[in-house]
Amino acid sequence: MAQTAAIGDRDAYFLERLDRGDRIEAEDWMPEDYRQQLVRLIAMHAVSEIMGALPEKEWVPRAPTLYRKLAITAKVQDEVGHGQLLIRVAEDLMRPWGKGREDIMADLFSGRLKYHNVFHMATPTWADAGIIGWLVDGAAVITQGMSLSCSYAPYARALGRIVEEEGFHIQHGESICMALAEGTPTQRTMLQDALTRWWPALLMFFGPPEKSQLSTHQLRNMRYRIRSKTNEELRQRFFTKYVRRIWSLGLTIPDATLAQDGVTKVWTYQQPDWDEFRQIVMNHGPRSRARLDLRATTYQEGTWVRRMIAHHSPA
Amino acid sequence: MARTERRSIQEIKDVPDLRVATQAVLFQLADDDMVIGFRDQEWLGLAPHIEEDVAFGSIAQEEIGHAAHYYELLSQLDLGSRDDLASLRPAEERRNSVLLERPNGLGTYLESPHFDWAFTIMRHYFHDVWEMRCLGALTQSAAIELGLAADKILAEKRYHRAHQELWIKTMLDRGDEQSQERVKKALADTNEWAADLPDFGGQECLFEETRIVPGASTLSTSFWQEIDAFTGALGLPRPSGTVTRLNGRRGQHTPALQEALEVWSEVYRLEPGAQW
Amino acid sequence: MEDLSFDVYEVFAQSDSLSPHVHVFNVLASSVDMALALAEENFFRREGFINLWVVRRDHIHQLGFADRDGFKKMAKNYRVTEDYKYLVDKWRQYREHPMTANGAKVRGGGEDGTTVDSGD
Repeated sequence: MAQTAAIGDRDAYFLERLDRGDRIEAEDWMPEDYRQQLVRLIAMHAVSEIMGALPEKEWVPRAPTLYRKLAITAKVQDEVGHGQLLIRVAEDLMRPWGKGREDIMADLFSGRLKYHNVFHMATPTWADAGIIGWLVDGAAVITQGMSLSCSYAPYARALGRIVEEEGFHIQHGESICMALAEGTPTQRTMLQDALTRWWPALLMFFGPPEKSQLSTHQLRNMRYRIRSKTNEELRQRFFTKYVRRIWSLGLTIPDATLAQDGVTKVWTYQQPDWDEFRQIVMNHGPRSRARLDLRATTYQEGTWVRRMIAHHSPA
Repeated sequence: MARTERRSIQEIKDVPDLRVATQAVLFQLADDDMVIGFRDQEWLGLAPHIEEDVAFGSIAQEEIGHAAHYYELLSQLDLGSRDDLASLRPAEERRNSVLLERPNGLGTYLESPHFDWAFTIMRHYFHDVWEMRCLGALTQSAAIELGLAADKILAEKRYHRAHQELWIKTMLDRGDEQSQERVKKALADTNEWAADLPDFGGQECLFEETRIVPGASTLSTSFWQEIDAFTGALGLPRPSGTVTRLNGRRGQHTPALQEALEVWSEVYRLEPGAQW
Repeated sequence: MEDLSFDVYEVFAQSDSLSPHVHVFNVLASSVDMALALAEENFFRREGFINLWVVRRDHIHQLGFADRDGFKKMAKNYRVTEDYKYLVDKWRQYREHPMTANGAKVRGGGEDGTTVDSGD
């Protein structure tokens, strides 16, 4: 009896520390449920960065000018770097379970661990690379900006570094899109087509809107101060930040119903197909398998390299 | 011309011998760095270890950054914009070594990339040693801008070479028999195609006379000495002799270069004259 | 002279949970606990901290003298935001004078016929 009470006290003390605004470090005691929620979130974020390098990577060697080649190489390199930061954070959390990076990657390849919907989409033109930099990274900064206040300090610090670099990413994307918007008819068409292609995926990025009640995961994450905003709040911010800019370039957003209420400032919009969203994140998106194959092939063939530099390498 | 006299690119433009020599060495350096940078970029996001992916991504960028710098100097010789020089010249006008255009392995960066890490590192090491030999000579070049470029670029090249040396040593020291075999094969594969790497396409005399590349005719020997000293110390004997095949310094190339150039310039060629 | 042997511990302090630990200085101590206790009183008599690390110096490795010389990188303008500052003016320009669907730039509220470039 006494022991149960003690554990209960520990949980209560933990939550009280969170409510005071204190943050948790990797080696601190934490409720198993808190650890699980974090791993769920951060491992998914990590593999999304790792897989998220690939859509733009397709355009790295093909970028039009030397300047763009350099900038997009730097940008994709940063994405891999974000994957490195996040997978390190996730690994440390999984250590008490005897698990680590190889488990995360294996779960990614087996389909047990999902990656973000946007990175399953095709990038058939150079303009897609621009739209990703401008709007996908723009959307990411909105969600990551919220998580800067996360109660788990190593994640918050990693996000601090990431958000700082995203500043360059967004400008890099804006710069590509601006040049296309100001360019020849072919270039503008390329940009408009890419926007039309990406719009539903951008709306899906924030996840389904909450109806009247939040999911249990969301409620727990809010209680643990892991997240502080709902999907819909974040999506609304995205509209406010980007819709007028998109229009100012004379581009058409493929949603005739999109409008902001003059009084409430709330945007109404056409819901994307949320069944399609579920299919995409289950690795049934247009490029899901191809990208997983690309990463899995090279990762698995590189096992000898990691085995060699690992501590327990064969003599 | 006095042996110590140094001139700017603007002056060199109007002196035929100097111009030819400057142009020739710059095309070699630029094309070498462009194509190795392209091969490095193919690894981005796909390297065997995540931390190494980021590290190698810097090398890719720096190679292309160096190429951009060399193309920029060429554009100052009124040969066209640096992007036109990088993207529009056909394969037969390219002066890169054939070794550097060799693919990283089977497949492409878009599909079934069965890339060879040991070969990637070994080939890069050869390239780093050669470029450093050239840049070392260029620090004394009669062309002022070449000397300045050499000083700047050498600082980054030192890191590249150290990176490859560390990997080669690691593969030998920490690897099992299989990875040691991979390194030996990588050395053999690199060596087989390396004949035109330490080569100036027959222009050594011009390079020396004009002092655009002082000591040009000795660089090949000192290159092989450095390679053999390093591999020898690791107990990794280099197969004797290279196989003389095509000479990229004379515009002879494999189909791999053409394929790379098509990818490299795909977007740039879409709309000639457009701003990107 | 008596040979008294200590370890050198390097001290790192964190000022808030979102900041990195920053190197402060070092102390002579014989254990981790001693190093932590001494570091507090030696370096934080005035400013506060929320966390401290002490690391035995022989567990720290650094670049060699020559390597530090070789670490001078060329400027990478293309990856810093400074290079993209021109976008601020562009966005302002298009906020005030949006492009039309065919990409033409409209003078202050003008109709499609009045499209001209930004030559003025």
